[in-house]
Amino acid sequence: MRSAILLVMVAAIAYTFYNHFSEERGLVDAGDEAPNFVLEDMDGERVELSELRGQGVYLNFWATYCTYCRQKMEYLKDYHEEYAEKGVRILSVNVDETTLQVERHQQRYDINYNLYIDRNMLVSNAYGVGVLPSVFLINENGSVIERQIGGKTEEQVVAALDELVPES
Amino acid sequence: MNKVTCECGHKNPYGTYLCESCGKPLKDEGKLANMRYEGVARRSQTYQKSIVDKIWNFFSSVKVGIWIIVLLLVTSSLGTLFPQEMYIPPGEDPSLYYAQEYGILGQLYYDLGFHNLYSSWWYMLLIAALGISLVIASLDRFVPLYRALKNQRVTRHTAFMKKQRVYGMKENSEALDIKALSTSLKERKYNVREEDGNLLAEKGRFARWGPYVNHIGLIIFLIGGMLRFFPGMYLDDYVWIREGETEVISGTEGEYFVQNNQFLVELYDEEDNEIFQEALMREGSPVVSNYQTDATLFKRSTEGSIGSETELEKVKDHSIRVNEPLTFEGISLYQVDYRLNELSTFTFGVEIEEDGEVQALEEVVFEVDLNDPQMYYEFDNGYQIEIIEYFPNFNIDESGEPTTLNRVPDNPRIIFELYPPDADPEEDTGEISLIGVQVNEPLNEDHDHTLRMLDVEFVDVTGLTIRRDHTLPIIIAGGIIFMIGLTQGSYWFHRRIWIQQKDGQLYVAGHANKNWHALKRDIEYLREKHDLPETVDQADEEVKEKDQVNEGGRDKNV
Repeated sequence: MRSAILLVMVAAIAYTFYNHFSEERGLVDAGDEAPNFVLEDMDGERVELSELRGQGVYLNFWATYCTYCRQKMEYLKDYHEEYAEKGVRILSVNVDETTLQVERHQQRYDINYNLYIDRNMLVSNAYGVGVLPSVFLINENGSVIERQIGGKTEEQVVAALDELVPES
Repeated sequence: MNKVTCECGHKNPYGTYLCESCGKPLKDEGKLANMRYEGVARRSQTYQKSIVDKIWNFFSSVKVGIWIIVLLLVTSSLGTLFPQEMYIPPGEDPSLYYAQEYGILGQLYYDLGFHNLYSSWWYMLLIAALGISLVIASLDRFVPLYRALKNQRVTRHTAFMKKQRVYGMKENSEALDIKALSTSLKERKYNVREEDGNLLAEKGRFARWGPYVNHIGLIIFLIGGMLRFFPGMYLDDYVWIREGETEVISGTEGEYFVQNNQFLVELYDEEDNEIFQEALMREGSPVVSNYQTDATLFKRSTEGSIGSETELEKVKDHSIRVNEPLTFEGISLYQVDYRLNELSTFTFGVEIEEDGEVQALEEVVFEVDLNDPQMYYEFDNGYQIEIIEYFPNFNIDESGEPTTLNRVPDNPRIIFELYPPDADPEEDTGEISLIGVQVNEPLNEDHDHTLRMLDVEFVDVTGLTIRRDHTLPIIIAGGIIFMIGLTQGSYWFHRRIWIQQKDGQLYVAGHANKNWHALKRDIEYLREKHDLPETVDQADEEVKEKDQVNEGGRDKNV
């Protein structure tokens, strides 16, 4: 009886602590099904996540004012084609800045892959994006295998892309 | 568990002071019986075996409980030494701020987690320990006490009678009229039980449960606080919305959106308002009578995915005022903040300088929406203007490059390139200039034209908090139960009178958990009507004997 009472109390407290201190865990995180979304690139071409099944998806949330995002997007310039052939799609999603800024950014840094704008931050909110850059690695079955926050080295970015290459 | 068998045949748990049944003292402890918890064995105090028993015993101790409370009080007051994290200037990095502002003490304060006291792990552990202590200490005392009071016998051991604080005896000359005595006691609202010519009168037993009811209230209160950390129970967030814009409501998983149709601040009219006129005059400056956001609530249609194909369905319109939140599905949006006059649109014109004369080009006037600027502006007279760069909140970063801090147009700067009709935008370089509020710098040579800001439009921004709190009813219930327990234990008290005839002697003994005076008055009242022995307060006697003052507290019952 006593052990049972103690157990219930300890379990409740442990659960509280777990909830409180696991805030590092994102709204969407490793192991979760990646929420489906539709976005348009600068030319109005639509992309829907569910249609990318069978490919790995490197979902990168960024902003023009985020220095680490800029670095990361520089690295991606060199790899996006190579990995597109291996079956990895890179989706770089801007967090609701003006079209003008995004276009100018693309020109200024000579970005040679598609950029998407998340109007009203609908997708960012659904993925619980708080800090930039936030990257979600989504495998070919549509589940998140990792959530990466903050700046990454070129090696880390490549390692992440390698992880996403579909098997077989 | 060892049992101690009393001479009346009752088996008492090990550690019992007074037999649970007849009250015979099982341990000799001075002149007066220790009536605390009826002298029953506190559940766990007396034997130690497994680790569970040890934990249980630890938290069962009132001493431990008091220490936990003292620690909570001390740490809580230390937490007020420097401002909490949420009150330091916005944008400051707390890991640096405390050390900068308050030196070594500040650093220590931050390192130990005092800057966010209620969320620090050790403070939460202390609160958890308090909760465990409350549960265990209460259970450990309530259960035996309840059993003892429920099972108490009318006929008590003579030694028990003698050791009561209020006590008297005499020769029992003629048989006592128990019936009449019982009637007198019932007149005073006592519950009376008789057994073999002995009598037990009891009143206000329920006051003994007060502290436990009080603790239950506290525990419910703590559970309410704990539930805030459970998913879906509690949400406290905020959202800024410009007039005319729609934002997602956090915590609804992208399902609900709110649109700010209009934000207004209304002022009291000194002339019109007769009632407040005097007070308003005294104030000197205008007094706000109303902050209001005319909002529309939208729900995402179930069709379509999140993102650019999201379709919104209107749910309702509501004017959010202070204390009049927009409420839906347990979530409330409250008016808490606003920002007037955020820049929204610039209107530009172009001036040309010809032969020393400045002339405005009337046809070349255009608007730039700072929240969604166009890239090209073409005019009938052949002029073309292109925005090369736009920085909503202009800043020069560490590497010396112009950039923006965020996406709020607080300090907008625009780099324009102007092409006169004779220039070819594909090949020629136009006149480039950087323009912002109070800023107009040419960035290359040979400008014949000057861009002029003709007009500025502003938009108001409303700040709403998003609040969902399912724990509030639990916390309120806990508070109410707490107060009921407090009242129950404070304004009523438990008194008992034993009257016993044995071997030609008549014994009277009384016990109260407080307010002994009332108990003595009740016995006096009985003595006036019946032939009862005179009683004395043995605690007073003891004091007299030892010539000590202030022996209070010895009979305090929890």
